[in-house]
Amino acid sequence: MNPLPRFAATTLAAIATAIASLVIAAPAYASKDVVFAVASTFTTTDPYDANDTLSQAMAKSFYEGLFGFDKDMKLIPVLAESYTVSPDGLTYTIKLRHGVRFQDGTDFNAEAVKVNFDRVTNPDNKLKRYGLYKIIAKTEVVDEYTARVTLKEPFSAFINDLAHPSGVMISPAALKKWGSKDIAFHPVGTGPFKFVEWRQPDYLKVEKFDGYWRKGYPKVDSITWKPVVDNNSRAALMQTGEAQFTFPVPYELAQVLKAKTDLELVAAPSIVLRYLSMNTLQKPFDDVRVREAIAYAINKEALAKVAFSGYAVPADGVVPDAVEYSVKLGPWPYDVAKAKKLLAEAGYPNGFETELWSAYNYSTAQKVAQFLQQQLQQIGIRTKITMLEAGQRVQKVESWPDPKTAPVRLYYVGWSSSTGEADWALRPLLASESWPPTLFNTAYYRNDQVDTDIKGALATTDKTEKAKLYRDAQERIWKDAPWAPLVTEELLSAHNRRLTGVYVMPDASFNFTDIDLR
Amino acid sequence: MTRYVLSRLAGLVPTLFLIGVLVFLFVHLLPGDPARLAAGPDATPETVALVRKDLGLDRTIPQQFVRFVDGVLHWNFGRSLSTKRPVAEEIAERFMPTFWLTVWSMAWSVTFGMAIGVASAVWRNRWPDRIGMTLAVSGISFPAFALGMVLMQVFAVDLGWVPAVGNDDWRGYILPSLTLGAAVAAIMARFTRSSFVDILGEDFVRTARAKGLDERHVVIKHAMRNALIPVVTMMGLQFGFLLGGSIVVEKVFNWPGLGRLLVDAVDMRDYPVIQALVLLFSLEFIAINLVVDVLYGLINPAIRFR
Repeated sequence: MNPLPRFAATTLAAIATAIASLVIAAPAYASKDVVFAVASTFTTTDPYDANDTLSQAMAKSFYEGLFGFDKDMKLIPVLAESYTVSPDGLTYTIKLRHGVRFQDGTDFNAEAVKVNFDRVTNPDNKLKRYGLYKIIAKTEVVDEYTARVTLKEPFSAFINDLAHPSGVMISPAALKKWGSKDIAFHPVGTGPFKFVEWRQPDYLKVEKFDGYWRKGYPKVDSITWKPVVDNNSRAALMQTGEAQFTFPVPYELAQVLKAKTDLELVAAPSIVLRYLSMNTLQKPFDDVRVREAIAYAINKEALAKVAFSGYAVPADGVVPDAVEYSVKLGPWPYDVAKAKKLLAEAGYPNGFETELWSAYNYSTAQKVAQFLQQQLQQIGIRTKITMLEAGQRVQKVESWPDPKTAPVRLYYVGWSSSTGEADWALRPLLASESWPPTLFNTAYYRNDQVDTDIKGALATTDKTEKAKLYRDAQERIWKDAPWAPLVTEELLSAHNRRLTGVYVMPDASFNFTDIDLR
Repeated sequence: MTRYVLSRLAGLVPTLFLIGVLVFLFVHLLPGDPARLAAGPDATPETVALVRKDLGLDRTIPQQFVRFVDGVLHWNFGRSLSTKRPVAEEIAERFMPTFWLTVWSMAWSVTFGMAIGVASAVWRNRWPDRIGMTLAVSGISFPAFALGMVLMQVFAVDLGWVPAVGNDDWRGYILPSLTLGAAVAAIMARFTRSSFVDILGEDFVRTARAKGLDERHVVIKHAMRNALIPVVTMMGLQFGFLLGGSIVVEKVFNWPGLGRLLVDAVDMRDYPVIQALVLLFSLEFIAINLVVDVLYGLINPAIRFR
């Protein structure tokens, strides 16, 4: 007899057994454990040393700041009860909430505020958020529940800086125990959940903190933060019930998830502005008519439909709506005839050739770049597209040493003002002090009046005065058109219908104070 | 043979040193400043300077190189620039998931591939051959990410038999190892088939048949030993590739393995991690080659080591 058929038969039997043993029901979850499927791994649990929104959003599980933002990005006091500012705008006196405990059982008080601010403002600790807090000259303990912070110079956005997700209160006892570096592996804060374990890159788990100061919260027993890089896999996880919340949902999967009855797809407004910056130091972009022509030539409505599957709205200003002190100025109309006329007046009746760079190389950005190329072609501007990878972007744009030789021309990029305030939406992008390599004024835009307005707004604590100055700045920028403003993105998330109280905030951070699972 | 293995192991040292030097130079040639990348999009120049100092990137390239070599000699690969954890720890954590995934994928794909290959060779140009080779060609041509997504959709989302992602228990291994092994099984099948077809046409096989041995003996005893040599070489190569971590499969199944670590490290210009990983991959390949060479001798005692 030939031995092979028998061999094959045994193998087949083995496979059959293996397949049969697979038929096991999907895992059942205990009632109040929630899994969040997120798009990338966490860099750290220390918000002062994080530069990504996601790590900071995750850290809200166990950390809270003196101030914070609610789900609509409105500033609210959290561990602070109130504050007063001295007339010169230099001294902030902050009254703290009583009866708050850290997860290690120690009390939260003014000393804790001092320890945390002293830590971040000390350059020796080399924290990535040093820049946001270096404005602090000193922090003093007035009494147990009153802290006084003195600034080096007036900075009216200071409370917004404190509300930024990085500005949290870490237990001084834990800091002392673990040290400034290792605290990232042993976070202890005042938040609703306490840290359990962090298995990189698998998951990070937190469980309910019984001594949380907000009575009756949190309403779930644990949250598992699970980084799942692949878009399709994240969507699959929602469908199998292995996760109850996911962000972001890619546009191409929106329809699939929408069709599932147990899932809810949410499109939330964002402060992520997408724009095309033009290098105003270089010909032909030094001519405002050329810049206007480019802004006129792009159909923003169509762009939102084509590249963002409709989950974006044409930008109606240089600062997105949800950001404090933003002014509605647009959207910039789509008018090809006018664009051609402007271009002819500027001396380019037949257009010209130039470079179009995208700051990102993912698929949505590719669609945007191709769409922009096609639109500019209509008025005779021929562009060569380059999708920059992160390293190239840093080298060719962000750290280019000499503004005069900067190779950037048309540059597709986006920004979100993480402090929810106009200063961080304007100064890093449009003040002349922010030309690369300092910050991100990739248009190399300079308007002295805008510079003065931005400086003036920071120095004043009078809200109406501030609003006036920011309005003036935004109107001037709109007129000078260093950018073609494109769209404001919408943030797509999905959650199981049993899950309530989890929101994606306009800055792509999460708010889950009210999280509950039915 | 012990002498042979020892001399091969000694030869490792200069090879690894050379690789180390090359890798160090290459990663530093990559465009992009890791300090800027780590500091993030809205960092001020002061912050970038702080981060640079923190990461030890403010030193000159030769200084960094001396530090790197010194570290490696003391079995210290430095700390990751992005997570700040020791690189050795970072890699150790990711190594086992990739290793077990590789082992399981190799186990089923080699078994299957060889069975299909032998069957195809024995019944050449008849239906087992045609079915086997159709499967093999499909296995090679169907891209892993697509296969992974289809498997996940069917078995995790629609049928709910296995979890979509995760390596918590053995069920998590099923889909990724199927996906990862599909191409290997196909390659093994084709390789085994062609190797067997050659051998079955050899004179000694004819002699074996002529002296009246039954077919089972001819195939398993006489043909197998000789046909296995190229197959084992291929197996070693594939094993080495898989141990490097499959970027695609690890992404689709969210596998906490080395492939993703490498991609993340390159994205963030995480020099110490890239250097250590490339050294590890080279070491793995060298070790596998050595094992393959030793296996030759076991399979076919006619092969001698000098």
